[in-house]
Amino acid sequence: MRDLWQTLRTSGLALSLIAMILSCVLISQRGLELGQDFTGGYVTEFQLAQDISGDELQHQLARHVSGEFRLSAQGALHWQVFQPPHNDSPTPLNWHTQLPDNLGVEILDSRFVGAQIGAELIEQGGLALLVSVLAVGLYLIVRFEWRLAVSASLALLHDVLITLVFFAATGMEFDLTVLAALLAIIGYSLNDSIVIGDKVRELVRARPDSTVSNTINVALGSTLGRTAITSLTTLTTIAALWWLGGASLQGFASALFIGVAVGTWSSVFVSATLPQWLGLSHRNYQRTLSEQEKQQLAEP
Amino acid sequence: MNRRANAASTAWPARLKRLLVVAVILVLGLCAMPNLYQNTTQLSIRTLTSEPAAPGPDQLVQLLQSRGFTVADIESGEPTLVTLTPQTASAAAQEVLAEALRGQASVKVVEQATAPYWLQRLGLSPIKLGLDLNGGVLFVLKVDTEKALEKRMENIALEAKALRIRDKLKGVRVERSSASGLELVALPQGEAALHQLQSALLDQFQHLSVSTHQQGSLLRASLSYDETGKAAFEKQTMTQALTTLRSRIEELGITEAVTQRQGANYIRIELPGVQDPAAAKRIIGATAQLSFHALQEFGGKRVKAEHGMVGLDPRAIFTGADIDSAQAGRDEYGKPLVQLFLSSQGGDKMLRFSRTHVGQPMATMYSEYIADSQGEIRESSQVISVATIQQVLGQRFSITNLGSWQKAQDLALLLRAGSLDAPLTIVTERTIGPSLGEQNISSGFAALALGLSLTLGFMLLWYRKLGVIACVALVANLLCLVGLMSLLPGVVLTLPGIAGLVLTIGMAVDTNVIIFERIKEERRQGSSMRAALQRGYQQAQSSIIDANLTTMITALVLMSIGYGPVKGFAITLALGIMTSMFCGVVVSGQLSQWFYRTKPVTGA
Repeated sequence: MRDLWQTLRTSGLALSLIAMILSCVLISQRGLELGQDFTGGYVTEFQLAQDISGDELQHQLARHVSGEFRLSAQGALHWQVFQPPHNDSPTPLNWHTQLPDNLGVEILDSRFVGAQIGAELIEQGGLALLVSVLAVGLYLIVRFEWRLAVSASLALLHDVLITLVFFAATGMEFDLTVLAALLAIIGYSLNDSIVIGDKVRELVRARPDSTVSNTINVALGSTLGRTAITSLTTLTTIAALWWLGGASLQGFASALFIGVAVGTWSSVFVSATLPQWLGLSHRNYQRTLSEQEKQQLAEP
Repeated sequence: MNRRANAASTAWPARLKRLLVVAVILVLGLCAMPNLYQNTTQLSIRTLTSEPAAPGPDQLVQLLQSRGFTVADIESGEPTLVTLTPQTASAAAQEVLAEALRGQASVKVVEQATAPYWLQRLGLSPIKLGLDLNGGVLFVLKVDTEKALEKRMENIALEAKALRIRDKLKGVRVERSSASGLELVALPQGEAALHQLQSALLDQFQHLSVSTHQQGSLLRASLSYDETGKAAFEKQTMTQALTTLRSRIEELGITEAVTQRQGANYIRIELPGVQDPAAAKRIIGATAQLSFHALQEFGGKRVKAEHGMVGLDPRAIFTGADIDSAQAGRDEYGKPLVQLFLSSQGGDKMLRFSRTHVGQPMATMYSEYIADSQGEIRESSQVISVATIQQVLGQRFSITNLGSWQKAQDLALLLRAGSLDAPLTIVTERTIGPSLGEQNISSGFAALALGLSLTLGFMLLWYRKLGVIACVALVANLLCLVGLMSLLPGVVLTLPGIAGLVLTIGMAVDTNVIIFERIKEERRQGSSMRAALQRGYQQAQSSIIDANLTTMITALVLMSIGYGPVKGFAITLALGIMTSMFCGVVVSGQLSQWFYRTKPVTGA
């Protein structure tokens, strides 16, 4: 039975590593569909009074929108037009005034982002991801042990990569809210890894005679309930957001949903399993214990 | 005796703690209360002059109705308050009224709290709604401090040349070596002159630094701003841009506007309620400057005028910075003009100049920065009038030949609000319709309600009696979070903020789950409920703190890099972590003690 768990965890880890490599390949191949926040450009969201097919609307718009543009449906009667930043039209946002009246266009949201600020955002966003992974890794090294820190950081990378690959594969837009979701995923996934890591540490100290593999199995077993329940409630609320949150939260909610699901997986199969392969033994945690004891002894 | 004293001493801190917890929840709950009463948007009309008398309420209603607005309520008084249906039309109505009542009354859009008086007295207000929930216009402007520095160096070079001529310094030449520096070059016999010029310039312009080197027989002194000087200059430019933009927006009559610095050289402006960005854009993005020059036939600066080119003395007699106030008006032929009132300093300059130049022409130059088709910013100048100085002028005179009434009004506004030295470019512009805002609020709160009820239902089903504790803690958490967000200034609720709220709900139960799982484990090992509770809370603490701290780290990183939507999300997330730790550990700890308090008595 114990061996079954062991093989299951090892194959899960292998699967995750393969998935990470494949993700890297796929992302570099397909690239991300960067949203307007990053590329700059003009986005107009509007509502029509009339139900009209996408092709027909595309045809209608082509007559009035100068330069290239991209039309996408956002919901019932709710559309979005994206025009790239280097649009030579002097008034790129004014086309809606020329559309025929019977369409009943109501502008909901129109925004322009300069190409330059977008480039700065990419830089800042990448930096934020890097800084948070580093800061959190540092915290883990101080608080736990380098094996756990490395494993948890790898798990974070895993979660971010798999979420990104979803965006690359589906062609969904990667915008600023998705970046925020990625950072939230980092926070969440770590949360999971830490609770399990805490239990592993506790049990490794308490049971110096048992093998590490066994101890990790026991730790996972006793935290499984918590992992499942928290993931379930979090995924439920995110699903509510996905379903009811409206078009502008779609990307955010889907990124979070995938990230939290993958984060739960990786906390079990990557951040709990990997330390064992990196050579975690009882001695690693024993020393900290004796130091603590010394401190306790030193206190009057 | 001794034991009783001990019992009392342990009971007191516990009781105090309980009181404190209740007090915190009550206070935050009180702060959350105003959110039940949403603000109304109204027009506030304040009369400026007694004659001609401002129109009464009936006339105002008539005026508004003739322009297609529906008046829901009018409250005459000082100021008169008008409520429209829908309230989102207020900004458009403000423009119409301000135009119609020009000179008689000032018209502003104001937010009126509807909470009971005693709540308002406590200084409590609902959470501010972001543009994506409220509708409005957003601008992000880039302040080109580099261009401003270049311009400053150009002025210094002009000043240096003027000083050289005034003091009759021989053997020194002024050279613009680069965009951000200038050089004084001296022949061997001009070294003393160079030092005199150099110290005069250093006196006049702070933060300027000099490096001197010998090139053959020539002595070269390069003047430029060093790092600290540049930083000081940039800071000054940004502050000037911010104050100028604020006063311009104030002139537009938008009181709820947010104008803040974003990053090193961006400015973010949010105009809630505004639906037409064109008018605001014309005023906010303008970098118009006025300056007054003597004519110079030879060697002057050639500037485009109405008919052909005009040669100007590049040094201005005075600039827009010397103007105290400006008012658009009409001359006796009905042509638009702008009346200027100079500051006493500007008045002195004008007096000195006009005294010696009566009968000679003076040119008014209008310059602004415009972006060409490549997005490159350059200065465009035009002489708008050349007038002969008829008499000695003082602090008060007017500029004519302005073309249109609109142009005169805009110019007067810009001169009143102060000018900008640095060119501004709009890098982001967003207009959010009021219906999208309403849609966002309703969908955001629908998601919140569904997420909350599912989580509560699940916790009740799974943990039964302990679940009740989790549910109470969760509701207290939401209450505290909303209270904290209303209490803290500068927290704005946006759609991603609501998303953060929903996510917090899902994650907040984690604290309870960790503790409850521990308790179950303890119970399985045969501890009593009371002991299990105590050990459960104690042992779970380190996991909870670790887990929440790391999420806090990412939230803080998000907060420091993000603007707008990301920031809204990060703030709710960070505050949510704090409240969920408080509610998950402290509040539910107190609740469990209270829930299971009778157990040991019956068990004993």
